[in-house]
Amino acid sequence: MSIGKGILEIKNLSKSFIVDNNPLQVLNDINITIPPGNFVSIIGSSGCGKTTLLRIVLGLETNYEGDALIDGEQIEGPGINRGIVFQDHRLLPWLTVGENVAFGLDGKSRKETEVIVDEHLKLVGLNGFKSAYPCQLSGGMAQRAAIARALANKPEILLLDEPLGSLDAMTRMHMQKELERIWLFEKITMILVTHDVEEAIYLGDKVVIMSSRPGVIKKIIDIPFTRPRDRSSYEFMQIKSEILEEFHLGVEHPFIYSI
Amino acid sequence: MLVSITLPVLLILFWQLITSTGYVSPHILPLPKNVIKIFLSLFSEERLMLHIVISLRRVMSGFLIGIAAGFSFGLLIGLSRTGEKIFAPFFHALRQVPMIGWIPLIVMWFGMSELPRILVIAISAFYPMALNTFTGVRNVPSEYIELASVYGYKRLKLIRRVIIPAALPSIITGITLSLGMSWVILVAAELLIETPVGIGRLISNGRETCNMEQVLVGIITVALLGFIMTMMIEKLAKVVERGRSIHQEL
Amino acid sequence: MSKSLLKRFEWKDKLLAFIVPLLVLVAWQSAVSLQLFSEMILVPPLTVMNTLVDLARTGDLTNNIISSLKRVLSGFLLGASTGFFLGLLMGLSSLLDRFVGPLIKACKQVPQFALMPLIILWFGIDEVSKVVFISIGAFFPMVFNTYQGVSGVPKKYRELARVFNYKSFRYLTKVILPGALPSIITGVRHSLGLSWMFVVGAELFGSESGVGYMMVWARQLFQIDIVMAGLFVIGIIGFTMNIILQIIEKRVLRWRVSFDGRMA
Repeated sequence: MSIGKGILEIKNLSKSFIVDNNPLQVLNDINITIPPGNFVSIIGSSGCGKTTLLRIVLGLETNYEGDALIDGEQIEGPGINRGIVFQDHRLLPWLTVGENVAFGLDGKSRKETEVIVDEHLKLVGLNGFKSAYPCQLSGGMAQRAAIARALANKPEILLLDEPLGSLDAMTRMHMQKELERIWLFEKITMILVTHDVEEAIYLGDKVVIMSSRPGVIKKIIDIPFTRPRDRSSYEFMQIKSEILEEFHLGVEHPFIYSI
Repeated sequence: MLVSITLPVLLILFWQLITSTGYVSPHILPLPKNVIKIFLSLFSEERLMLHIVISLRRVMSGFLIGIAAGFSFGLLIGLSRTGEKIFAPFFHALRQVPMIGWIPLIVMWFGMSELPRILVIAISAFYPMALNTFTGVRNVPSEYIELASVYGYKRLKLIRRVIIPAALPSIITGITLSLGMSWVILVAAELLIETPVGIGRLISNGRETCNMEQVLVGIITVALLGFIMTMMIEKLAKVVERGRSIHQEL
Repeated sequence: MSKSLLKRFEWKDKLLAFIVPLLVLVAWQSAVSLQLFSEMILVPPLTVMNTLVDLARTGDLTNNIISSLKRVLSGFLLGASTGFFLGLLMGLSSLLDRFVGPLIKACKQVPQFALMPLIILWFGIDEVSKVVFISIGAFFPMVFNTYQGVSGVPKKYRELARVFNYKSFRYLTKVILPGALPSIITGVRHSLGLSWMFVVGAELFGSESGVGYMMVWARQLFQIDIVMAGLFVIGIIGFTMNIILQIIEKRVLRWRVSFDGRMA
């Protein structure tokens, strides 16, 4: 993978929707640059426009003001240099898991497709489920398949829209670990939208905090820890409480010290 | 709105154009204005009204008998698993016979009289009603039935207060489908079981005398009545639905 | 519960299903034996069976069945394919939907049997008018079900196709058509069922061959055994068509989670 491909630059980006004939500003003056290979978490309460931001990068929302550039080129529509994992897995129920993973592969020979599918099913730990139908998978497994589908096209940037949001707590922690492993293996940019503070810190090189109405970037926090990270370490807890304070949910002290 | 009336308007214009230029003979397709003229004259002579009233009476009798029987039967096989096992297979087998196929047999049994016409309509209204009542009853959530048994509801009260209200949307669908079916079969019954009066008679009379205008008047009348009936049933269904949702909010 | 016990229960259920037909047969036979009705109104069940065998042996029955099936097939193919394409286009283009949708809905209100005399006046009394009539019956369920299926494909799957740069043909074959398939199959089933009813109707109305013709002709000669045999035959054919379509449906829609309790 050539380093330097896939720089995402967002400059003075604003977006508004028309609701009942009145413009509603969803994003206001967003500025951020994400170098290739970074893992960035975006966190914010619901309605802060984080999903809209993701959809702009994906190319599903156009008509924005300002710039959204990949390698200096304006984003005007979806392209296979960007992959997406939605919150609902969106596997097509009429295709097998293997066919779903091959969904975005076009113009490849049968053999090549087979190889890519097998490779990615193995990467996400789903070998043996190739000919199963989505209705036979558990939530976590379905989300693994969706990740494999997004990666099969070799995107430069993988967008993750609350991909673990509908999983139970234990599966979720396990999948966070898996995401980290996949990211370290693929060495591509990943942008994760989440509302789970711990998840954002555990995975991100940077955590972008957004606030709502209109959506603006409130703060960008660098996470300096080495990987794999320890959720229960003091530093981890401290950053967590720092972020929670941004949402006025902070606890006075993360630990009680002897006086 | 504008887009949706474009095509009908274009078609009527086209109709006017090909008939008024004499491109199509009036025996194949009469002038629109002649159809309207015949319609108005039949209407003012009250002959059209007579046909309509007789047809409506026929369809309503058959429909009411059919849905009453269908409702009872659907309730029976819905409430009793044994009843289902005994009656449902025969019911489903019988359902495969196209309604129209019964006409020759019924005519042989009852002659060319009013009874076979109503009977055919009743049979056609019976099937959708029975089927929808059955599925409605079977899909009542078991939680409701448990709740009722906790409060000591006896069988009759359970049926009246819990099962039928819960199955109501499906029952209403059944009524709508039954009415549509009755209406379709009415015309077939009037065409195939000869009758001196009725909209079907009006149409076949028109055909026998090569009176194209009358044929078209008959078809348009049947379509309009069908449309009005469907509208009324849909309105009724909405009122019932609204009543239910208010009930739930309370 | 052991498996053999379960099996015995199913066995009992199957036996229960035979109670009503058996009772009907018994009542029928005893009504004949007691001479409650004249022979013109009721003949013994066995006579109907014999008539059926006789008709089959002389080839009359087969010929009539074949000519009915031919009509059904051509009418169904004509009507259902027109309905399919129009429904597909309406589902894909909202402009077209608004343009022709209301007219088609209004046309559906016409009880199609009312059109029979008109069709005969336009196309004559021969094969063409029957095929046209059947195709009208086949058209409506197909157009509505295809339209509903296509427009009902969830937005999330359409979005997914956009993300992966799907262009028209691939979009149609991989996303839209499979997504609409359950509804399309329902359409085919209703469409075929109505075609079968319409062919019988058309043949009762006036024809020189077909199962319906056989019944009308027998009625005029007061041969009730043939009328009943005809009724039996059209029932069996309707039943067989339905079964075949159900088998196809099961095979094609393997991916669907079934709620009929058979998965458990």
